[in-house]
Amino acid sequence: MEIYIVLKLVWWALLGVLLIGLAVMVGMDMGVGAGLRYLGRTDSERRTVINMIAPHWDGNQVWFILGGGAVFAAWPTIYATAFSGLYVVMLVLLWSMIVRPLGFEYRSKLPSQRWRNLWDVTLFISGAVPMIVFGAAMGNMLRGVPFHFEWNMVSYYTGSFIALFNPFAVLCGLMSIALALYQGGAMVMNRGTGVIRERACNLLTAAGLAALALFTVCGLWVWFMPGYVITGGADPAGPAMPLRKTVEASAGAWLHNFGAYPLLWLVPGLVYAAVLAGVLAARRGFSHLAWWLGALAWAGTIGTVGAAMFPFLMPSSTNPGHSLTVWDASSSATTLGWMLVFTAIFIPIVAIYTSWAFWVMRGKVTPEQIEHDEHAY
Amino acid sequence: MKNVLLFAFWFLVGLIALFLAIVLGDSGAWYLAWVLGTVMMILIAVTGTVILEVDDQHND
Amino acid sequence: MQELETVIALSRSQFAATALYHYLFVPLTLGLSVLLATMETIYVISGRPVYRQMTQFWSKLFAINFALGVATGLTMEFEFGTNWSTYSHFVGDIFGAPLAIEGLMAFFLESTMVGLMLFGWDKLSRGKHLLVTYMVALGSNLSALWILVANAYMQNPTGAEFNPETMRMELDSFTALFFSHDAQAKFVHTSVAGFVTAAIFVIGISAFYMLRRRHMAVAVRSFRVATLFGVFASIGVICLGDALGFINGEGQPSKLVAMEGLWETAEAPAGFNVVAWPDQESMENRFELQIPYVLTPLVTHTFDGTIVGANDLVSRAETRIRDGIPALVALERLSEDPDDRDALRQFRAHGDNLGHALLVKRYAPDVTQATPAQIEQAARDTIPPVAPVFWSFRIMVAAAFLMLGFLILATIYSLRGQIVDKRWFLKVAPWMIPVPFIANEAGWVVAELGRQPWTVYGQLPTWISASTHSVGYMIFSLVGFVALYTVFIIVEMFLMVKFIRKGPDDGPLPPPTESAVAAPGHTSQWSQA
Repeated sequence: MEIYIVLKLVWWALLGVLLIGLAVMVGMDMGVGAGLRYLGRTDSERRTVINMIAPHWDGNQVWFILGGGAVFAAWPTIYATAFSGLYVVMLVLLWSMIVRPLGFEYRSKLPSQRWRNLWDVTLFISGAVPMIVFGAAMGNMLRGVPFHFEWNMVSYYTGSFIALFNPFAVLCGLMSIALALYQGGAMVMNRGTGVIRERACNLLTAAGLAALALFTVCGLWVWFMPGYVITGGADPAGPAMPLRKTVEASAGAWLHNFGAYPLLWLVPGLVYAAVLAGVLAARRGFSHLAWWLGALAWAGTIGTVGAAMFPFLMPSSTNPGHSLTVWDASSSATTLGWMLVFTAIFIPIVAIYTSWAFWVMRGKVTPEQIEHDEHAY
Repeated sequence: MKNVLLFAFWFLVGLIALFLAIVLGDSGAWYLAWVLGTVMMILIAVTGTVILEVDDQHND
Repeated sequence: MQELETVIALSRSQFAATALYHYLFVPLTLGLSVLLATMETIYVISGRPVYRQMTQFWSKLFAINFALGVATGLTMEFEFGTNWSTYSHFVGDIFGAPLAIEGLMAFFLESTMVGLMLFGWDKLSRGKHLLVTYMVALGSNLSALWILVANAYMQNPTGAEFNPETMRMELDSFTALFFSHDAQAKFVHTSVAGFVTAAIFVIGISAFYMLRRRHMAVAVRSFRVATLFGVFASIGVICLGDALGFINGEGQPSKLVAMEGLWETAEAPAGFNVVAWPDQESMENRFELQIPYVLTPLVTHTFDGTIVGANDLVSRAETRIRDGIPALVALERLSEDPDDRDALRQFRAHGDNLGHALLVKRYAPDVTQATPAQIEQAARDTIPPVAPVFWSFRIMVAAAFLMLGFLILATIYSLRGQIVDKRWFLKVAPWMIPVPFIANEAGWVVAELGRQPWTVYGQLPTWISASTHSVGYMIFSLVGFVALYTVFIIVEMFLMVKFIRKGPDDGPLPPPTESAVAAPGHTSQWSQA
């Protein structure tokens, strides 16, 4: 196999890893933010919940930033086309996300209850909205996005903004926020005590079951909705030029890969197994296990989308021939190679010091402790 | 064990410093200048406060 | 066409607004993180708790500033894709890599460690906490490094080549990209400008306390650390600024021309325009005040060099536009048939000037029909708006020398132990805080407005780089950003001022721990405020 094909495939897998990392780490903090008013009934309880993720949200958020950077580096055509095409959705995502650092950092700086309530609202919005948009974006990729290119690769998006919030995409968005709430619940169980831990366990259970229900509905929807198939002109080893192939839309096409490789059914199966086992583990008190099972559920979910769509990344619904695929939307071999070297060196280093940071800050966080800690949020 | 780890840590730091000095000295002179200059600025600022503390002691 | 021009103007306004806003917070993060590490080093060496108070106080202000830096940085990471999609496709193969490496190598480090720095005081040993603080400083400056490596590609593209098969620039040599002179000088200049910003910030606030005789123990020491740190940093900024000017002279002559208001080619010895009233339309200065002989050695670093002026650059651009037109024609043929050998040969012969041909496409959609007037118009576009670049540059340089003088004076007073008696100086110092911020913003304007009309110098014109949004979308997003950011800055300033007024937590000091400098139990005139 040519080296360029290998690089493209590796970066397709790394894109998956990145999305999973983003969903697990950022999703966890967002789940905590979205569930804050439920998890903590008094201000002191809320501060306790916030301080469980206080030392980590910033580091976790880098997964999101790295997501932007890595898509730019490895899949520049996707970066350019998707982010400009989904313009208003991206703005909603950005605007809701940029109030989050302020919510964490500024909320407890003043004693006023009104001030704090206001920031609680921003934490809710900046937790719920980005996760819904994240899921909805995935949903829209499955449906195909109305865009096309001119000969010089200037891209045009021809859909309306409202069309991006179609029922299927919204369901995917809800599935995504449900998994985030599950993950946030697991995190709060890990570090919480007493009534906070009980509420987190209830949240986790409800969110986990809701996620499974939504996953099932979305899965059935995908079964019948039009998928896309390359009918000719694609050259896996060729240059990244998406305008030279033919693509057809046909109902049920997203199941072709599962038909060809039945082992792939294990991937969606993993979601059911992980969430069910996770809920059971959490109810028995094994919250760390539940956290890891939640991460596995995210891997299964994103893996399912990837397995269904391969080799498509962003199909065009109006001009299917211009769809972006693994074979024609990547960087050059040189860039993919250099990026792989950096990734191979730095991801392990990042993993080491992130684990160290969690280990240093380990232990339960209680309201009593927060009252006496001058460094807490 | 602790000594071994400490040794390994400083050994690594030394290696990185050597590597940086060789690569940067060759083709990244300004980068090298930044590394050396920043370290120098920090050391000078630290020295400045040491002088402050010593002066303070004399004044007492 | 009219709509396209409006969308470009709005996209540019939005990018400038969000970038300038982001850049209000970045330099302070760059410098204050290093100053925090310096302060904490003194704490670890001396063991005196006052340095711990000091570090903790400044790290609170650091955190307030950092939150907004992170928040507005999110916008920047995505704005290339949302608003500059043609640009993103054109250079993504090169430009994306440093951005991604920034995340991997620098921002992960900075953000993970910042959590430990702020919350880990009681969970980490002193040595480990110091290491964490150094990692925050290293991470934030490495961030700047990679962002500026990416930016340097826009200024002075090296290490890449246009690939007609994929219609974009593709990476050729990663090391050429990383070690580009522009990237190196720009990084050091920017990072060290951040050091100066932080030094003046610390000095100003410390002076505010000293004037009121509050928190003297922390204020006097912070003042000392910042002065010595700042004075060397400001010398560094000025030296590197000079180096950058020299590099621009070679790589971006049109930017240099705008910075110096130089319309006619100047033989040695050329005079330096201290003030001038540049007129873009007639391509001359309506008024100028010169220092003779200075410009040639300043820009060329020789006594006999020639500096090419705007008029000559325009006529060179005209030649390049004419030469580039066949390349654009060949490219369109190649897009229909990639195996057209004739077209490929034609493209290879003229490809270097493809970017210039794109300049004229703005006026003549069919470039083969471009009239001489249109070509001349496109050639004149290659000179950036001279007046704003010229004046931003002067504001930046004046601010730099003002700060250098201020820092030298502050250092002398601090070293002589006279600072608490120089009340006029203490009164002035807080008013110096805005100066580095103004200089930083002016520097951004020189660098990025001076790059116009290109997004990638000589290769991709700005007018073709933006996403194809409607005017309505652009107004919506621009209004949204301005509204949101205005609220942010009000909240930030409010909290910043509140915490500055509150000052460091200097209740009864805990007994000193082991001390390398002062004897245990020693109290000095400043240790109790």
